Amino acid sequence: MVEFVVNGASVSVETDSSKPLLWVLREDLELLGPKYGCGIAQCGACRVLIDGVSSFSCITPVGSVAGASVVTVEGLADAEGRLSIIQQAWLDEQVPQCGYCQPGFIIAVTALLESTPRPTDTDIDETITNICRCGTYPRIRRAIHRAAAMLAER
Amino acid sequence: MPLLLSRRAFLLTGAALGGTALVAAVGGVGYLALVDVDGLDGYVDGDRAVLNAFLTIHEDGRVVVNVPRTEMGQGIHTGLAMVVAEELDIPFDDRISVEFPVEPLPAYASWFNVLQQRPEEASGPVVWIGRRVLGLLGFIATGASASTMALWYPMRLAGAAARQMLLAAGAARLGVPVNQLTTADGFVRHEASGQSLSYGELAREASVLPPPNDPPLKPASDWRLIGRSQPRVDLPAKIRGEPVFGMDVVQPGLLYASIRHAPVFGAQVARVVNEAEVRTVAGVRDVAIIDGRQVAVVAESWWRAEQAAQRLDIEWAQTDGDGINSAEMSARLQAALGSDAPYENINDGDVEASIANSSMSVIEKTYEVPFLTHACMEPMNATVIVREDGTAEAWVPSQSPLGVRTGVQRGTEWGSVEPTSITCNITMNGGAFGRRGDLDVAAQAAFLATRHRGRPVKLIWSREEDVGRGLYRSHAAARLRAVLGPDGLPSAYDALVAAQSVIESVAGRNLPFNPGPDGDRLTVEGGDKLHYAIPNRRIRSQHVASHVPIGLWRSNGFSFNTFFTESFIDECALAAGRDPLDYRRALLRNSPRHLTVLNRVAEMAGWGSAMAPGRGRGIAIEECYRSVVAQVAEVTVGEDGVVTVDRVFCAIDVGMVINPDAVIAQMEGGIAFGVTAALMSSITLESGAVVESNFHDFPMLRLANAPEIEVTIVDSGLPPGGAGEPGIVPIAGAIANALQAATGRRIRSLPLTTTETIAERRTRTVLPTSAV
Repeated sequence: MVEFVVNGASVSVETDSSKPLLWVLREDLELLGPKYGCGIAQCGACRVLIDGVSSFSCITPVGSVAGASVVTVEGLADAEGRLSIIQQAWLDEQVPQCGYCQPGFIIAVTALLESTPRPTDTDIDETITNICRCGTYPRIRRAIHRAAAMLAER
Repeated sequence: MPLLLSRRAFLLTGAALGGTALVAAVGGVGYLALVDVDGLDGYVDGDRAVLNAFLTIHEDGRVVVNVPRTEMGQGIHTGLAMVVAEELDIPFDDRISVEFPVEPLPAYASWFNVLQQRPEEASGPVVWIGRRVLGLLGFIATGASASTMALWYPMRLAGAAARQMLLAAGAARLGVPVNQLTTADGFVRHEASGQSLSYGELAREASVLPPPNDPPLKPASDWRLIGRSQPRVDLPAKIRGEPVFGMDVVQPGLLYASIRHAPVFGAQVARVVNEAEVRTVAGVRDVAIIDGRQVAVVAESWWRAEQAAQRLDIEWAQTDGDGINSAEMSARLQAALGSDAPYENINDGDVEASIANSSMSVIEKTYEVPFLTHACMEPMNATVIVREDGTAEAWVPSQSPLGVRTGVQRGTEWGSVEPTSITCNITMNGGAFGRRGDLDVAAQAAFLATRHRGRPVKLIWSREEDVGRGLYRSHAAARLRAVLGPDGLPSAYDALVAAQSVIESVAGRNLPFNPGPDGDRLTVEGGDKLHYAIPNRRIRSQHVASHVPIGLWRSNGFSFNTFFTESFIDECALAAGRDPLDYRRALLRNSPRHLTVLNRVAEMAGWGSAMAPGRGRGIAIEECYRSVVAQVAEVTVGEDGVVTVDRVFCAIDVGMVINPDAVIAQMEGGIAFGVTAALMSSITLESGAVVESNFHDFPMLRLANAPEIEVTIVDSGLPPGGAGEPGIVPIAGAIANALQAATGRRIRSLPLTTTETIAERRTRTVLPTSAV
């Protein structure tokens, strides 16, 4: 039994504590936003926030998040369903193509803008290392700067 | 209609019996032929009214557009919903949703891909027969950048016909002549009385009215949507992380499966050494050998299944491929370039005589590219249930419903089950790039489902299976020869391409017949350079067999031939002492469409302006998928040999544009896909098996290395062309040409650089020291 908080709600999961958080979220909790892409912390499609830190849920044993607060892409919109500023910037810039990797990017950028509200391009290059096979990178960069500007105006 | 034939059945029967007038109508280019006869009769179902094969309107005004093409990131659901909304006269807002229809109606068939006739021009008995056959087969596939060309016109007709039916229903309801009514924003209006009725109110009455045979289409001057960027209909759900992909399919009682394929392609399973032990792993329900060639583990969780699969000890039978490595493959290609009897694809003029009679020396260069895999972000998966009552249902992120159906048939056959019906649900695809047309994954999942009747089985390939056991873009090589005339332009051009045949490989896995390798046009596409004014021209191909399975791969032959040919044209320009842009202008003097695109991209890039030492720009152009695309790449080569592609300029004439922002996105994405192939990727073989296994050794372009991209759409006013693939096509040649400009070195094989890891998930690309 592992107990933790997901998107603000307490959960307790009867599972092997070595099962990766990704598969607990997807199979046990039916939170399907975090995606399986590589299983080896290379692509970032599985990223979630663990106590605010952008993390690779594919290599994180669920036992290690006992008592922690996990946020998936499903937890970014507010209670009324309004998109987060970063999600809104993603929509405004029409970023996704196939969209499979985008929850991971959105999570990574959420963490980046929390710590670095006005990131430079170098900050972005060093932090946002996810893979998008469709090649939405120019729009991702624009959306990050747009979101940063929107946050600054808030 | 128990006693009467439906209108559709009557027409088809009449046409089949040879009624000339009926054949003319049914084989024509109007609504009757393109939507109605092969579609369905309108009907009412609860609060929704189905008006035709492409359109349903709910009482509350919601509109559902059926788009029988796979959304895999290219934005096709939005583009085709736009053309329906345009003709229907409704706002393009969140009341519109798109579904991939489950029923494979003949009206959805991808006959354009085969017949290469635009629907708006496709009349006549030959086309009619082709349409019938492909429609009845249920041949629906998304590929070859064809979806807009195939459906934009029929779906406009579908929207226009529905609007006419709604007007007729409004006229009946209001008791006024139809010519006093107008439509706007989803309402039928009677200006004189000020009355208006919403489409939702009228749809049920409208749906059972006879459709018009020739609904008038809006003139282009009245378009409010076509040609104006609209937001993608699928993005809000994707940004929220809603479950839209095959990977996200959840069904009651779901079982999960992981799979192991032979490291050496084609090897049979000799035995599973530790099957009994793996069966005892917690959560494991089954260990199954599929078709003698793969081993799958079925469990209550995919993680469990994969853990158990990692413990499998499988003995594979020996094959002829066991000793093959990349050097051997390369040697086979080079040997094929010495073939004395290659297949002749094109022979215009007299190449041999022109070369023999020239006083100039022959320019001869050889180029080569490696195998590549697709690496869709969503790994391969399929979910299939075979129910106790004999029905089967599949949920697959696929480019081909027919492939899914055939796959389920094959897989259930392996399990000695004959389903009474097969329902195919096509989910969103997390990337596809040609990989998801094959039936393999659906067949494997279906077989597993026969062993667990009544429970859905979701088979997921691990990333390692995806990279290392894929269906690859062929390795390929070419020898190009030219002699230059007095003006410095080629007077003879001779290309010989050696590759594995993609058509032969795909057909072998998916079709009941195989056309064989000869004449596979995908081998030579991009190799003929028909738009260049060269009087003597020959292109030949020599196919090279191997044990490696070949798949369709975004832009197929163009992905290598355009690299070969556009590199070679630059080499000819250099030999002639001409600027590469001016050289191409001279070669395109008879092709105004191409010249316009070339000049536009040159202007965007500021071609001819000075660049700092170590920097260079290169240009390339291609006609493909009925579009013309040209790119200029700017590169910087550091003193340490580190290569960066700084900027890419792209001009595309894609004919008439439905959704401009989607075309721009496809160019951006195609360039990223092409830069990855040009600089970073190769699949290599050792002892018959693929060496690469995941993104650490099959690297992808990431944000830090992605070039700035500027795209301009050139409006030629021609009918729509394809946009999904052209973006990739010129980029490798443009980069190779830019590297030559920057360094004076010509690199003739891909990838152009080697990839070095500089930190976790960060790489740089470096010129090979041996490059000359």
